[in-house]
Amino acid sequence: MDFVLLQLSGFAGAFIALVLDPLTYAYLIISVFLGITFGALPGLTATLAVTILTGFFGNKIPLDYSLIALLGAYVGAIYGGSYPSILLNIPGTAASAATAMDGHPLAKAGRGGEALGLTTTASFIGTLIGTFALLIFVWLLLLLSKNIASPEKALLALFGILLSGTLMSEDLVIKGWIAGLIGLAMAMVGLDPLLSEPRYTFGWSYMLSGFQVVPVLMGAFAVPQIIDGMRHMEMGQMVQLKGRILPNLSSIRRYMPTITRSGVIGTGVGSLPGVGEDVAGWVSYGVGKTVSKDGENFGKGSIEGLLSSETANNACIGGALIPLLVLGIPGSPPAAALMGAFKINNIIPGPTIDPEIILRVVAIMVLASFTMFVMGLFTARVFIKILRIPQVVFLPVVMVLTTIGSFSVGGGINDLYLMLGVGFVAYFMNLMKYPIAPLVIGVILGGLFDETFRRSLLISGGDLTVFASRPVAAILLMLNVTLVLSQIPVMKRALGRFRGKVI
Amino acid sequence: MDQDTEVLRTRDFWGALALMAISAFFLWRTFDIPLWGENRAGVSSANWYNSAAIVPLGIFSALAALSLVLLGISIRAGGAQRALSSVGIGWSAKEALRFSTIGIILFFYVAGLVPRVDFVLCSGLLITALTFGFHKGQGRRMILAALSVAVAGGYALAAHLPQSEWAAHDDDWLTLLVWIGLTVWMLCRARGDRVLKAVPTIAVIVPALLVCAMAFGFRQNVPNRGGLLFKQIEYHYYVTIRPLWRG
Repeated sequence: MDFVLLQLSGFAGAFIALVLDPLTYAYLIISVFLGITFGALPGLTATLAVTILTGFFGNKIPLDYSLIALLGAYVGAIYGGSYPSILLNIPGTAASAATAMDGHPLAKAGRGGEALGLTTTASFIGTLIGTFALLIFVWLLLLLSKNIASPEKALLALFGILLSGTLMSEDLVIKGWIAGLIGLAMAMVGLDPLLSEPRYTFGWSYMLSGFQVVPVLMGAFAVPQIIDGMRHMEMGQMVQLKGRILPNLSSIRRYMPTITRSGVIGTGVGSLPGVGEDVAGWVSYGVGKTVSKDGENFGKGSIEGLLSSETANNACIGGALIPLLVLGIPGSPPAAALMGAFKINNIIPGPTIDPEIILRVVAIMVLASFTMFVMGLFTARVFIKILRIPQVVFLPVVMVLTTIGSFSVGGGINDLYLMLGVGFVAYFMNLMKYPIAPLVIGVILGGLFDETFRRSLLISGGDLTVFASRPVAAILLMLNVTLVLSQIPVMKRALGRFRGKVI
Repeated sequence: MDQDTEVLRTRDFWGALALMAISAFFLWRTFDIPLWGENRAGVSSANWYNSAAIVPLGIFSALAALSLVLLGISIRAGGAQRALSSVGIGWSAKEALRFSTIGIILFFYVAGLVPRVDFVLCSGLLITALTFGFHKGQGRRMILAALSVAVAGGYALAAHLPQSEWAAHDDDWLTLLVWIGLTVWMLCRARGDRVLKAVPTIAVIVPALLVCAMAFGFRQNVPNRGGLLFKQIEYHYYVTIRPLWRG
């Protein structure tokens, strides 16, 4: 209990410092507004919002303000995806896909205002649940992570890439792993981290410093989105918003158990390395359908169904920041973009991170969620108007934003070539249903994996048992092996037979 | 198996072959990195685990192995049989035109225009070309849009390839002419289309605001500082406007 109180008092200090700074509000209002706009426009995603703002704010303003801008956009974008889900039946972001299942039928039934109001409230509470978990668990894990050495770090990085590849694949799991391996391979370019041996530089001096994170992020997330979105689309009929948006207290109280359960599920899913808000939304929706008394109405306009996904995807943000801050492994694709911002600010997330930064992140999250709540309730009609802008108008603007953002991070024109190259590759990968998130996570974690894997071998004199001789390493190795084996068809069948016998 | 999956497996067949070729190429290149005890970065060592090649070797071997598995899956699903049929690959001429015109526009914008031409001019042309070309999904407009950017970008690339010539202004003038031409053509065809009518305003304001915010707000480097318009903006910012509040 003392520990929790200590944490809360530390958080209060960081929170008050932020609240007293007038610039905080300027960055918060702009970034949350931009985030909601990005989330609300179908074709733009939360990852894209954080990526583009990383190019703009990543290393150009003090870190505190840069974090406010990026976290504000992250929180806003995940919430903003609910607008087109409810009013157009088109998810604004992948995270809001489950929201459309119940949100749109509710809007068609003339309960759009109520749905938006409850969604806003649930997203707010969900973000707070995730943030509270971040405040508490990050410290417990940081204490544990002091015992994590090179073998554990290497295995954790590998686990993050494998898990992300497994869970983010729409088609074959193997494609997720291939995407992760391509990302890892890209991270091998440049001088190696231990001996400064040049690798795959082809005599080009720009390649000596390896692929920069921001152009890779821009290329992987923005360029395919622009190429894919530049097509003629008839905007679906928008359902007219009826009813008041401001929810009443009694209905919030009635749905509190659903919101709390979904918040916990979202935080849990978010804390898994590399698994994003979309998975959190669907898992929570699935659980809700199973345990809720209203389960049979899920998909037909159930408020509980709507809240299950919307609370979880916002709670996932806090969860996704836990592995990012404790282990340096992003918990979701937007968190990977956030990691890019940390990297260009020379901050290494992980056991050695400055505790002050964690407290500030928590304080920013609380403020961002509050800003999102107020904006969602009182300026919803502005965002509904934004929904009418066709993709062919805003995507070219996004391309210009991406270009200048990527250029100004440091590498100049060469970064733009890299961005375009990665963008075309990512577009074809999308076309063949390869997930892009594992690739980006591979690029980000590749350096860490390479360095820690080889350092482990150096320390042990080439003895491979170093990856199994320490308790945490042994557990992580087992997790990696189990994850791979569980996807092999023979093992899958055997597991199915075993489950059949037991049950 | 539904048709989408059939198309996907056919694409996987080609994808797996490409991945195997890439893995083989990079495995071959990996053997350029000393593995068994050669001199590495001035340090001689006899242990394999010191080598910078060990992790890349593992990565590309795993990639080759997974590509083989993917090839096996696609062949079992009939991907090899359909590999040379356009229907099997899911080829669509309309989609190919859409992708290639966007590809041409993006390539000439990034490789040709951004380094050599004023950022406001080239971004204005990009916004106009993309919106006009793809707003209604008409093939002719896509081709015209791609041609406009290709002419401006191709000239900049061909006439001023080396970095020492990037400050020249003839490509800026050509880009401006092409941009004006495309805008006039677009407005003639706008006929009450609110989106197309709004394009010129967006194409001027957005790049100008962005480049000014980046250069004077964030004080960051922006592409082609000596560009036709930006040079004037920068001059008047420091000489005419800034002294107003600095004085």
